[in-house]
Amino acid sequence: MPQSTPHPQVKLIETLLATAGRIILGKEHEIRLAVTCLLARGHLLIEDLPGVGKTTLAHLLARLLGLQYSRIQFTSDLLPADVVGVSVFERGTESFRFHPGPVFAQLVLADEINRATPKAQSALLEAMEERQVTVDGETRPLPAPFFVIATQNPSYQVGTFPLPESQLDRFLMRIRLGYPATAQEKELLAGEDRRAMVLQQSAVLSATEIAALQTAVGQVHAAAPLIDYCHGILAFTRRCERFAHGLSPRAGVGLLRAAKAWALLDGRHFLIPEDIQAVLPACAIHRLIGNDGTGRLDHDEVSTAILTAVAVP
Amino acid sequence: MMAKQKLLPIDEQPERYQTLALVLTVSAAYLPLASHLNWRVSAFVALVLILRFAAVRWPAAAPGRWLLLALTLVGVANCLLANHTLVGKLGGTSLLVTMLALKLLELRARRDHRISAIALCFVVVVQFLFDQGIGLTLYFGGIAFMIVALLVDLNGGIGSPPIRRAMPVVLRICLQALPLTIVLFALFPRLTSPLWSLGFDQDRATMGMSESMEPGSISELVINGDLAFRARFDQRPPRPDQLYWRGLVLWEVDNRKWSPGRVNQYQPADSELTRAAERIDYEIVLEPSRQRWMFSLDLPIEHPPNTVLSRDFQLLSDRPITTARRYRLSSALDFRTAVPADAERRYALRLPDNTSERMIALVKQWQLETDSDWALVQKGLDFFNREEFHYTLLPPKLGANPWDEFLFLTRSGFCEHYAGSFAVLMRIAGLPSRVVLGYLGGELNRIGGYHLIWQSDAHAWVEVMIAGRGWVRVDPTSAVAPSRVDNRGASRLLGTYAPARFHIDSTGVLANTIRHLRLLADSIDAAWQRSVLDYSAAEQTRLLDRLGLADYGEFALAGIMVAAVTVVMGLILFGLVHQPVAIDPATRCFALLCRRLAAVGLVRHAHEGPLDFAARVAVARPDFALRVNAIVALYIRGRYMPNPTVADVQRLSQLVKAFVPRKPRRSFSNAKCRKYFA
Repeated sequence: MPQSTPHPQVKLIETLLATAGRIILGKEHEIRLAVTCLLARGHLLIEDLPGVGKTTLAHLLARLLGLQYSRIQFTSDLLPADVVGVSVFERGTESFRFHPGPVFAQLVLADEINRATPKAQSALLEAMEERQVTVDGETRPLPAPFFVIATQNPSYQVGTFPLPESQLDRFLMRIRLGYPATAQEKELLAGEDRRAMVLQQSAVLSATEIAALQTAVGQVHAAAPLIDYCHGILAFTRRCERFAHGLSPRAGVGLLRAAKAWALLDGRHFLIPEDIQAVLPACAIHRLIGNDGTGRLDHDEVSTAILTAVAVP
Repeated sequence: MMAKQKLLPIDEQPERYQTLALVLTVSAAYLPLASHLNWRVSAFVALVLILRFAAVRWPAAAPGRWLLLALTLVGVANCLLANHTLVGKLGGTSLLVTMLALKLLELRARRDHRISAIALCFVVVVQFLFDQGIGLTLYFGGIAFMIVALLVDLNGGIGSPPIRRAMPVVLRICLQALPLTIVLFALFPRLTSPLWSLGFDQDRATMGMSESMEPGSISELVINGDLAFRARFDQRPPRPDQLYWRGLVLWEVDNRKWSPGRVNQYQPADSELTRAAERIDYEIVLEPSRQRWMFSLDLPIEHPPNTVLSRDFQLLSDRPITTARRYRLSSALDFRTAVPADAERRYALRLPDNTSERMIALVKQWQLETDSDWALVQKGLDFFNREEFHYTLLPPKLGANPWDEFLFLTRSGFCEHYAGSFAVLMRIAGLPSRVVLGYLGGELNRIGGYHLIWQSDAHAWVEVMIAGRGWVRVDPTSAVAPSRVDNRGASRLLGTYAPARFHIDSTGVLANTIRHLRLLADSIDAAWQRSVLDYSAAEQTRLLDRLGLADYGEFALAGIMVAAVTVVMGLILFGLVHQPVAIDPATRCFALLCRRLAAVGLVRHAHEGPLDFAARVAVARPDFALRVNAIVALYIRGRYMPNPTVADVQRLSQLVKAFVPRKPRRSFSNAKCRKYFA
């Protein structure tokens, strides 16, 4: 029966997750979410303090997934052209030639995205949404798969331009890494250099295999009660007075797709409520704004509130 | 013709099967009516229906507008010819079915089908004017179901699911109608007399006991297989030979027949009964006879309201019995009546003009041989017993002097021959006597616990005035020697309706089975009669009494009805609005699992997914883990997987049913510890 046998590439993903778990210690759930985000054709925002392993994670994923990798360090003087590329006049050919920017890569790490000005931010975010870049009237497609991992410092740090809600909505997931637990941190301190370990890794998956998995995600079956459940969650966020506004339909579509990817990683071809519950905090909370004036929401508290408020049909 | 017709919108074009189903339903609804209506009407309707069926097969056969007009005129004329009127029960019904059949000839759009289906509802209603038996009620319930199904199908629009799939909808509509039906049945104010007994349909008299008796009149009745009445005793029923059901009393005899005579019989009885030993209470449901007399066990001592108990113990209704009538009364088997007045006595001694010398001589002979009145009566009975008298249902024809011819020539006859001639003989002897018409015996329906008294149980006996004892019942028919009872003629004539005393092979398995089935059917029919058909204004008043609203009469009834209808409609509406989402079997199984686990303290939170719940259960009760995990895995397959297999769901159901969690045994408590080590 096709429904009960997992997708052939899922085994590879498991290997990938196990390898990643050996390098980034104690963050299995976050790594799994990151891979889920990739398979759901979404982009990932990692929000945390410097030095908790954001870049290592991005780098590691690029290695293991066999993706062409580039990194953009966002600074306050970064220009859009620094991201998407620029046309330069060449004497020899008497014409302009386009020099692609760092965004032309399969996996882009946009480091400290909230350090750049909104103009530079939006250059990247438009590329993320459209999966293409238009420079000098010419549209150039970005490579596939195209996966952006952006990192951001908590917005209360100095010299940051917090991403506006409309931009946050472009990210399928926002995750936090947090400090490692005691045992894992000691292991980290005692162990090898992580950067070196990342460089030793070879690709587990190819771009075609990732594309196949992304297609398989779309074929995961969501039974009617789960559509109801998903809608119940959306409706609740719109009804609940703690939020300035509820989740957008795009958020709903993203949530369901992420849940499907999660189910596929679990070796299933159909959704169960736990899939939605697993991805909901990562998919939903960064799109919500509190109603208390500050707009801030406590990530864990809000996700618990939403999950307990909506009954599983 | 076809070109002139407007093109129908696609969703108004009927399917052929819809037309066919409608015509079939109309035919089925007409079938039971055919026996009640004039053959001309039936013939016309049958003709039109055949034409209609032909038009389904060959659409060209459908008549055009002018032919249809002509057919309509012919149909109306036919109705007039058959009933001489277009109103009333027969006239109106004939017109209705004729017009409905004609309407079928112009079924073009779905709209025509809908109109015909709704008109058919009227035919269903009208048929209850003719027959309200349970069998036909069920039959027409089926027809009504078909009509609803047809209407659902016709309103389905194009590409609607086939009627098979729409059946749940039809069933739901019918079930929704049920509470309303019950409320309206119980509370709709009843008219004390049915609307349709307006007096223009008196021609269909029910066959029953006639007012007079002459040789041959009862044997005709015996051939009739109809039911006369049902009787239900409160206590143990009397022996079959005690079941003399008293009807008319005949005083006057002429050359051929016995008749009630001129006695002032409608005068109420003035407690003539001087000794009434054991009192027997019972209830009778009398079939309509269009006569006034009613039947009671010999002799009645109390009579129901709206009846008169005459001096000669006839029970008479104050109006002809046109619908089945239920009444309660009491009788005494052992009785002694008062001595009649002289006028009455003289009347009971009048002889017919054709009293022959032979008869007088015979009685003179008996008088010489006996010394008392009672001995004389015995002598008369002995005469029937010893002489070659035969009991037969097929007696020879009697001439101008039937009593003499029977006694001395033919000597074979039925109860009316015996009773009639015996009474004449007693009158010759100077003993006042009269003939009583009624029924003897009856068939005990053990299933329903009541007696069935058939027309074939009709009987006639004699009452003789004996000095010091009053009127004494004498049954000369029973004096005939059993060896001379001729069964053959009777069973040939009567078939299964023959009274029990004529049954020869009632021991046969087939005959027994048929008899039992017949009794079972009758007990169902009797229950139907008791609970549904007899539900009348009186029962409604009793209901109001119980509610303490009797003073408000029909207003209260109407008020309660409106309130009840509102409540029922409200509930149905509420149900429609709050329609529960269809629950699939897997969900039901899981809900059962959750209930069972909740009973042992493991309550699933509404927001908890099944796997999370299973994990929590496994932590709390590791002994459940295996089974709960298996159940939840199956539940997830059954509920969330595309196209779950039936086997999975069945297995899930089995597992959940088998899983009955118990609270953990109390651990070895400290108190016990202390007890052991004390």
